[in-house]
Amino acid sequence: MESLFLLLPVSFLFVIGIGIALYWAVFSGQFDDTEENGKSILEDNDSNHT
Amino acid sequence: MKAVSIFSIPKNLPVHERQKRRHMLASLGIAWLVMMQVMMFAFPGYLRGDYIGTESLAMLDTAIIIMNWLSFALTVPVLLYCAWPIWQGVFKKSSAHSMRVNMDWPVALGILTAFIPSVIATVNQRGEVYFESVSMFVAFLLTARYLEFCAEQSARYSEVGVPAKLDQERTIMTAKADKIAFAFVMIQILLAIVSGIVWYLFIDRAHALPVLVALFVMSCPCALSMAVPTASSAARGIFLNNHSFTPEQQEFVLSLTRKTANQNLYGSLAWHILMAPLAMFGLVAPWVAAITMLISSLVVAWNSWRLYKKFHNQGFIASPDWTAGKAVQG
Repeated sequence: MESLFLLLPVSFLFVIGIGIALYWAVFSGQFDDTEENGKSILEDNDSNHT
Repeated sequence: MKAVSIFSIPKNLPVHERQKRRHMLASLGIAWLVMMQVMMFAFPGYLRGDYIGTESLAMLDTAIIIMNWLSFALTVPVLLYCAWPIWQGVFKKSSAHSMRVNMDWPVALGILTAFIPSVIATVNQRGEVYFESVSMFVAFLLTARYLEFCAEQSARYSEVGVPAKLDQERTIMTAKADKIAFAFVMIQILLAIVSGIVWYLFIDRAHALPVLVALFVMSCPCALSMAVPTASSAARGIFLNNHSFTPEQQEFVLSLTRKTANQNLYGSLAWHILMAPLAMFGLVAPWVAAITMLISSLVVAWNSWRLYKKFHNQGFIASPDWTAGKAVQG
């Protein structure tokens, strides 16, 4: 059970890290439009290959 | 053409509205994240009873103290950042949305009655903590508000092709829902305080706080306040996807919308009324109360989405349901 005293702070730091990552992802617009970016590959302009 | 969904982001959304939506999404995500972690930290506390008399009890107790502090440290940012709109609502002077603002009071009361004793218990290193209930409450509340906000926002920014009657209907139904929610909250708070006092004086002093917290959590009218916005935004989605409605088809959709809104309203009301006595008898732990609250708001969102989906799947005009539904309606 001693491992708890290591694992608890580690899990705490993980949550903080994930929280910061999530915050960054939301405000950099990752979730603004979840469909458009997936479709953009299909609407690619293929005309200029050699 | 891509169908317009209930919760989709309108194309012409101004920057500040988009930013608001991002804030709501970020606080929703963080609240859920913290909720899950705090639940992990709370879980060993539930198992403590099994360890009484064993030699690992002392170590478990030390771990529980550490976990309480960690839960506290995680819950504070949730209260300061994620729950910020709630505190804002409490201190805002009553405006056009005065009914709406009043709804923040029971929520704030619920959070504080769970949070403050938990902090005291953490500092004193004995007694129960309810950080998991607090973070669950905030997370579920934000879930309901996010759904409501998205529905309401997409309704505001895509008015083209939507009959003006829908707006009128919406205003009438909102007024009705606000009235019901207000009466409901007042009764629930009164009930919560009375049951808390009765438990404290006559039944079990230690159990008074969880009962009070559970009833406060259940007094939150999230599902009620979602009832009308989600239904009318479903109707908006239907109208935007079907431009060629005749007036009587429009009338039919509007009547279905009214029906759905009423189902939402009375369904969630019945659910709350059913749960309240259980909480008064002390059978509902605060975190269970938070879950019942989440269930009712998700069911409301799902019911409205079903209205939208009904037309989306079948193609309205060719739908065999159309004549059958009309016969039932008429």
